[in-house]
Parts: sequence; C-alpha cells; structure tokens
Amino acid sequence: MKLDSKVPSGPLEEKWNRHLKDIKLVSPNNKRKHKVIVVGTGLAGASAAASLSELGYNVQTFCIQDSARRAHSISAQGGINAAKNYQNDGDSVWRLFYDTIKGGDYRSREANVYRLAENSNNIIDQAVAQGVPFGREYGGLLDNRSFGGAQVSRTFYSRGQTGQQLLLGAYQAMMKEVHNGKIESFTRHEMLDLVVVDGKARGIITRDLVNGTINKWEADAVVLCTGGYGNVFYLSTNAKNSNVTAAWRCHRRGAAFANPCFVQIHPTCIPVSGDYQSKLTLMSESLRNDGRVWVPRSKDDSRHPNEIPEEDRFYYLEEKYPSFGNLVPRDVASRNAKLVTDDGLGVGDSGLAVYLDFRDAIKRDGEDAIRAKYGNLFDMYQNITDENPYKQPMRIFPAVHYTMGGLWVDYNLMSNIPGLFVAGEANFSDHGANRLGASALMQGLSDGYFIIPYTIGDYIAGEDLKVVGTGHEAFSEAADKSQKQLDKLLAVKGDKTVIEFHRELGKIMWDKVGISRSKEGLESAIKEIRALREEFWQNVRVPGEANYYNKYLEFAARVADYFELAELMALDALDRDESCGCHLRDEFQTEEGEALRNDEKYSFVSAWEFLGVNGKLETKLHKEDLNFEFVELKQRSYK
Amino acid sequence: MPTLLQAATSQVGRKVLTGATGIFLVLFIIFHLGGNLAIFGEADAMNRYSLILHNFGPLLWIARIGLLVVFVIHAWIGISIWFRKRTARPQKYEVYSSKGGPSKQSLSSRSMAFTGVVLLIFVVFHINTFALGDTGTVMIDGQEATDIKSLVIETFQNPFYAFGYAFVMLLLGAHLGHGVWSAFISLGLSGKKASAILYTIGGIAAVVLAIGFLFIPIYIFFGGGCEAALISCE
Amino acid sequence: MSEMTINLKIWRQKSIDDQGGFQTYQLSEVSEHMSFLEMLDVLNEKLIKEDIDPVEFDYDCREGICGSCNMVVNGSAHGPKRLTAVCQLHMRTYNDGDTIVIEPPRAAAFPVIRDLVVDRSALDRIIEVGGYVSVKTGAAPEANLIPVEQEVSNTAFDYATCIGCGACVAACPNSSAALFTGAKVAHLNSLPQGYPERKRRTIAMVDQMAKEGFGDCSNYGECEAVCPVGISISSIAEMRKSYLKAVL
Repeated sequence: MKLDSKVPSGPLEEKWNRHLKDIKLVSPNNKRKHKVIVVGTGLAGASAAASLSELGYNVQTFCIQDSARRAHSISAQGGINAAKNYQNDGDSVWRLFYDTIKGGDYRSREANVYRLAENSNNIIDQAVAQGVPFGREYGGLLDNRSFGGAQVSRTFYSRGQTGQQLLLGAYQAMMKEVHNGKIESFTRHEMLDLVVVDGKARGIITRDLVNGTINKWEADAVVLCTGGYGNVFYLSTNAKNSNVTAAWRCHRRGAAFANPCFVQIHPTCIPVSGDYQSKLTLMSESLRNDGRVWVPRSKDDSRHPNEIPEEDRFYYLEEKYPSFGNLVPRDVASRNAKLVTDDGLGVGDSGLAVYLDFRDAIKRDGEDAIRAKYGNLFDMYQNITDENPYKQPMRIFPAVHYTMGGLWVDYNLMSNIPGLFVAGEANFSDHGANRLGASALMQGLSDGYFIIPYTIGDYIAGEDLKVVGTGHEAFSEAADKSQKQLDKLLAVKGDKTVIEFHRELGKIMWDKVGISRSKEGLESAIKEIRALREEFWQNVRVPGEANYYNKYLEFAARVADYFELAELMALDALDRDESCGCHLRDEFQTEEGEALRNDEKYSFVSAWEFLGVNGKLETKLHKEDLNFEFVELKQRSYK
Repeated sequence: MPTLLQAATSQVGRKVLTGATGIFLVLFIIFHLGGNLAIFGEADAMNRYSLILHNFGPLLWIARIGLLVVFVIHAWIGISIWFRKRTARPQKYEVYSSKGGPSKQSLSSRSMAFTGVVLLIFVVFHINTFALGDTGTVMIDGQEATDIKSLVIETFQNPFYAFGYAFVMLLLGAHLGHGVWSAFISLGLSGKKASAILYTIGGIAAVVLAIGFLFIPIYIFFGGGCEAALISCE
Repeated sequence: MSEMTINLKIWRQKSIDDQGGFQTYQLSEVSEHMSFLEMLDVLNEKLIKEDIDPVEFDYDCREGICGSCNMVVNGSAHGPKRLTAVCQLHMRTYNDGDTIVIEPPRAAAFPVIRDLVVDRSALDRIIEVGGYVSVKTGAAPEANLIPVEQEVSNTAFDYATCIGCGACVAACPNSSAALFTGAKVAHLNSLPQGYPERKRRTIAMVDQMAKEGFGDCSNYGECEAVCPVGISISSIAEMRKSYLKAVL
C-alpha cells in the first residue's frame, strides 16, 4: 500500500489555488455521462450531492434514515467557525488555520487545515444565500460568539441549532436537484459493501431497510460521507443509528483506516442513570463559563451537595489549573473528571459524575441572568434528570462525542482506493488528535461544497472509466457476501441480544480505550474484545427475518463491524507510545500530568491496512509522515 | 401559474373562499338580525322593513341569488373538506385526545361539519316558511305589503317551531364560535396578538348573535304573540 | 428509585400489506428515569428473549432534533407533554399500573411500513417542489451584503426550526400538512434571500400537499399544540397570504 498525500508544493497560501489551476476538468457534455454515488446525506453528503449535481453529474444518494434531512449533523448545537473577521478582532485565515492545527495537537496535515480555513468564509456566504437564519445583530448583520480554543470571536450560530439549520440548507439544496431530476435519492438504504473492479471503486451494495432487498449500484466514483464511529462505545452523544459499517466495509476492501484511536470525549454531558440508558445527551460546554466543577473531598461523603461546606469541596480544576480553571480544553476537563471518579470521589448513584455548580454564579449575577444565558440548557437538564439545577448542582460526566480518525484520504479527499472519496467526519483529515468546537460543521461543508466537486472532476477526467455493469462478478460477489452475513447473523439464534453484546463491548472500550489508556489496559482490552467477538458469533440472538423491516438485524451487522474496529482502535492506541490531543497514555505524561507528545517518533498518521480476521484482527500499519513547514510545534499548557 | 379556477380549488384557495364567504354570511346574518329585531319596534316596523326590501325589485333578486351562491359555495367546500378528511385518514385512532394549550379544538371547531349541515337544512325550511310562506297583506303608506310580522308571530306560537328554531340558533352560535376567528386566519391573518384578540371577539359575537336570534321565538312563544309586552300589533 | 409496572397496548403490523392490530404487553421494573423510548427498548429486549418480534419504531438522535420519532401515545402525537418529542418524554410522567396505547401516526399519506414505523417521504416531496432557495454552490454573494432585520431573522428562525417529524399531520383531525408546509414557506418567504422565488415556491408546495393526499386545514390549531418545537399556526396564515399574493 502506497500512501501519497498529493499535497501540492509551494507556499501554504497558494497550494489550493495552484492545485485548482492544475486540476483536470470534465466538459459539461461529458459530466452528463458520469454517475457519482454519495453515501450519507449529512452536511458533507448533502452538500457534495447538491454541488455535483449542479455541475451536471448524475448523482445517486443513499441514507439509512427515512429522510435525507435526519442525518446526525442535525444535532450539532454550538456553531460554525469562519475567518470573516467581522468582529475586527484580528482574525484571519492564518489564525483559524493555526488554532485548528494547534488544537489538533499537531497531528494533521498543514495543507488540508489551511484549505479548510480558506473555505470557511465561502461556507458562510453559501449558507446565508440558502436562507440559513444565522444569529444577527440589531443592525441586521451577522453576529458571532466565541468558542473554546480561540481568542477571537469567529463562530456563526443559529441559536443552539446551528447544525440543524446548516443541514436543512444543504438538504434543501439537494432536494432542489432531486426536483431537477439530477439526483436520485434513496432513503432507508444502508450501504453494506464497496464494489472494487480493477482496483477502482465502481459501485456499492445496499440493503433496502424496508423490505430487505440487496441492491447493486454502479458508478464512476463513490463519495462516502457516513460520519463517525463514536457508537463503538455503545453510549455516546451520537445518534442511535450512526455507525461505522459503510466505512468499515470499505476498509475491508482495502481502504486504509487512519488514526482510529483519536476519539474526542466531551466533558459536559448528562450522566448515565441506569443500564437501560440508550444514549448520552450533551450540554454545551459554554456552561463551564459560569459553573464550577467539584467533588467532595472525602470518599464517603453522602451529604446532599447543598449541605457540603466550602472546605469539604474539591474544586479540582481550579486547584490544578489556576490560570484556566474550569475553562481548560475539553480533553483536559474530561481526563480530570475520570481521575477524581477513579479515586472514588464521584457523585450520584453510580459514582460516575461530578458536580457543575452554579450556586456562586447565581449569587453573583442573579438567577435571571443565569436563566437568560443558559435557560434552555437548564430546562433540558431538568427534563432529563428531574433535578432543578438552579437549586442544586448539576451532575455531569464526559461522554464520547466525535471521532477524529477515519478513512485515510489524500489532499483530494480520495482514499487509497481510486474512485473512493471520503468526506466529513468519516475521513481523518483535518482535526488531528483533537477537534476544536465549531469546526466539525465547517469541515463537513468545506469538503462537500468546495473540495469534492473539483477533485472528483480531476479523477474522472484522468481515468478511462468504462461501464462494467452490475452483472460483473465483483458485484455479485459483494452482494452475496452481504446477504450471507445477514443470514449468518440470523442463524446463530443464541441467548444474548445484540444490545447486550454492544453494551459489554462499549464498557471495555470506555474503561480501557477511553479517556486514558495504558499499555496494560489496552493489551487486556484486545484480549477481551477478541473473546467477546468470538462469543458474539456463537451466541447472538437476532430476531425476525431478513426480508422485512428489522432494526435489530441492522444493529447486529453494525455491531459485528464495531467488534473489528474496536480491536483496531486498541491496537492503534497501543502503537502510539505518546500522548497527544485526546489520546492520553498514562505512561506518557509530563510531571504535571499533562499529555506528553513525542514529535520525534510519532509525528505521523497511522494508516492501517486490513488483512483479515482470524480470531484476531490481522492488520498492517503504514505511516504517513507529517511535515510541519509553516508552524512550530509547541507543548500545550493550561496551567 | 395556476388558473384562477385551479387557485380557487387549491387547499389554500378553498380555505380562503370558505373564510371570505363565511365573513359575508356573518355580515348578512347581522343584517338579518337587525330586520328581525324590528319586531320589537313600532307596530308596522317589520313589515315596513320588508316592503323597503321588496321595493328594490330586481336588485333584491340579484342580492338573493348572490347570497345563495355564497351560501352554496361555503357549504359545498365545507362538506368536501369533511369528505376529504375521511380519505386522508382511512384508519382512525383507537384513542385520540387533544393536547390543549394553543389547540383550538373544541366542541365548536370539531362540530363545524355537523352544525353546518344542520344550518343548511334549516335554511331550506326557513326560506320555505318565511320567504315562500303564505302571508296576508297589509297597507303601508298606501302601498300593499306582505304581512311578514303576523306570519312570524303565528309560526312561533308553535312550540316545535319555536324551540326547534332556538336550538338551531344555538348551533349557529357554535358554528360561529370557531368560524369567525377561523375565517380571518383563513384569509391570512398571521399576527399572534391579533389572532388572540379575534378569537375572543369571535366568541362574543357568536354568543351575541345566537342569543339575538333565539330570543325572538322564545319570547313570542312565552309572551303569547301579540300579547307580549314588547311587541305591539295592530 | 421507584419502579413501575406499565401496561402497553401497541399497534403491530408486519408490513404495508398486513392488516395489523393491537397487542398488549405488561412491562415491570420500569424506572421513572427512563425515557419513553428506552422503556420500549427494554420491552424489546424482553420480547426478543421470548422469541417475539420486537416492536419497530423510528428514532435516531433521541435529543428531540432529528424528527425521526413520531408516535401517537394515548391519542396524542409525541405523548402528553407539550414542546416535547416522544424521545424526550420520561416515564416519570406515568404512574404504576397505567395503560399506554401506542399507535403509529395515521394518515393516508403516511403508509405504515411496520408497527409504528411509517413512510413520511411525502414531506420530502413537498420540500422538493420548492422548499429551497435556488442558489448554486459558489454563486453566493458575500454574506453581509444583505442586512436582515434582526426581528425578521428571528421570526424566520422560529419557522425554520421545524424538525419534520409529521406530528402536525398525525394530530390534525383532517390529516393536513399545512403546518409543515407553512413553516417552510414562511421561513423562506420572509427572508430577502427567499423573496424572488416566493410565488413559485408557495404555489408549488401548496399544490403538492394536496397531491400527496393530505387533508385540508380547518384551523383546529392542534398541530401547534403537538409540535415539539412549538411552530405557530401563524405560519399557515403566512402561507395563505403568500399564496393569495402569488395568484392575484
């Protein structure tokens, strides 16, 4: 496997423009003759599909939801960054680039991140023109708010529903093209395999989730926009149907999986309340602007939080990080929450929570001021927990939120399988080892609106793509394989449900491949994952039939893939003998307990090649070296 | 662009027509009530009013036909909405309940089709009884006029007619309780405050009109026609 | 933590061609902290172990924003709580021994796929005919070129917040999609960006509603009452106004 990042030469500021100049074009007459498949209709998928269709390509989109509008991008709350510098606070493309690459702890490509920052402004223009109702000032111009990891105000927002509004903009653009007859949209269809002919991606296999039919689709290129894999942890802030299956099946067909162990864990989520818990709800981290995080100083303090006096409260973030206090970055906040609960200081029934207390803020600013700022979040908290956060501290705990890793792509967002493009959270490209807030929406739309439409043209123009026909044996082989796997899952008829397996897998992952990792823990995790995977295939109980709507069969196939991915994540974490961004290895910390990077040895992208599963996952590591020509690598410090 | 007919028969067009015809009909019944109340005026007030109307000649007929057309459109659309509602949900809910709050579901709104149909039937009888009924004649200012007043008084001596009429007027109130507000919303009134105010006004108007109409038969029945205190007959 | 026993009467229908009917189940050990959908998850785990097909229902984000979930609980779309999608409803709303009737949203335009899962693609087709601004990627002018009055922008947002769950249709006695359609028309028509296409958009979307087999709007206002994001029926009035201006 050869990993060529294809980053253009030249100064950072000129790379993308120079590349665009060199890119091959497909004439309008010829675009009509080419078909592109887009899998997933979130920000990246919907924007790519709409843009490709506008250019003249024939596009087919596939999503697992009942409407393209329901992709998980819709849940993003906070906002989207752009280097508009409307606030005149000294923002620039360079600064956005720098913040993003530094926030990612120097584990992403300079050229990709710079291009992302360059595209950011166009995204805002595009969204506004589509009628996305961003927050505005009294004068009628766009407003900005500030967000973690930046010293400028560059975040555009639509109240707490920015993802929803941007997605609806992209979805509507896509529906416009459906109306124009250039996009064929298939909902409730799940991609189960990639079809590779002569080394090139030439189509996909899907299952119609309504009646179970396995279908074959041919195309000249496939764009995978299927999101992240946070649900490998069972509990996460991801939507229940978010999954890794499409990406993993591509990996199995030869696409390299990059940095799988880079998982972001969000510090302010509502804690687990019982075994039945199905997902975790995130609350904006802006809460940490006014809330103080603490736990009781002693282990056996069973008093109500309001009765615990000041001297018995351990404000661990304020004590450890006097200058940043409660506003340390996401990874630092999450890690410290785990440390105190590991020490037995956690609160609540499960002991897996810490307090986020607004008592002092309410005393200082009054309840009305706090309500004005956080009213909707407080309501949401009360609705879920039945506790009044104005009267007693919130209980919070970190939860898996975003995966920076994903399929490896070059500068053109093409994987190592020619013709397979990967965009949005599904690729590994721009966030390194940690993603900054308000950057996910930016990346999804940058990829979909402003990168893929050009780079696909370059690929198609440069290839001789003859029709192969879905009768080709590669199609039937892939379709048979998909059907057989489903039949096999149904045939086990064991004793344990898919959810029980998934929950157990999630626990292993959370305990040992979660907030902090150790060599010992990872090695035992790998053993446990293998054993549980064996048991899964012997003892899983999948109800129903394959030819009807059957959600638990869908889950079973997805969990089967998680079992393989989980092992890869542990292997990747074990291989990376350093700490960086969200990846914290207990063995590699500064004396003060901070992440200790090893730029000498680990300044690379881990790209894993799938070789097989035979009791254990057979895999091979390839490295793409990261060269930093334009920024200087520094150790982060928040003391 | 749709043709005017297509626009008029679209879901919005139908609703706009229902609203516009509804408002027209409300204005008509206010006018009608004014005429009815003439029974409490001077002895010949009601017949004089009738005479003035008849003196419009062909214009009266045009107005009558116009009114009929408006009424038929209103009823026709209302009935077709009811039929369409049945095809739009062939399988009913086992349990159905309103969530309250801003919902305008009430006995009034849920029974629009029923009250509407009863009113339709009523109007047929009503025209038959009063507009086409046998009346004597009286002389007013040297002109021969129909003695509608005697017909009214005579008719409402009959308990079935008096109470039947009063009951239908209650249904009219119910119809207007939702209808007055709804007509304005159908015509595009979108202000939330204006809507709230109008909902109250609509309710009050419904009550006032219903009482205004049903007061007359009840009063005549219990008062014994020309013997009643407020009615002077010659 | 108090635990309850809940009696469930749930609509079961194997496929679009199946006639369907109600089944009753008893579920004990229901925690008050469970969400309504988690209660159904627990029921399904139990059913799977008993070799009974689990109850199929749509869901995804479980945060009230994706609009996937939409079931009619004791006769109310999304259950008894206002401004709450059923995924955000918690079992503490119920008491030990309660019976809960769960049905799919019922409308000719929403055929049942299985149990509580329905096909809501009719809503997509309404958007398809005009629920957008026809701006191509790359053709957008600088974002701050056109100022938009803050109040106008806020109102547009209120309409744009629709999650497309179809509860409005489910709850409407006439099965009308006027709130869904009105919300998108009012959102786009009120903004300068959506203004040029307002006539074509409104006419096409209104037309499509009828083609999909949704009923007429009789201003019952039940849609607003069940809408998990509280979209006002003023959007329907706005749609009518736009329509009148477009055709007259």
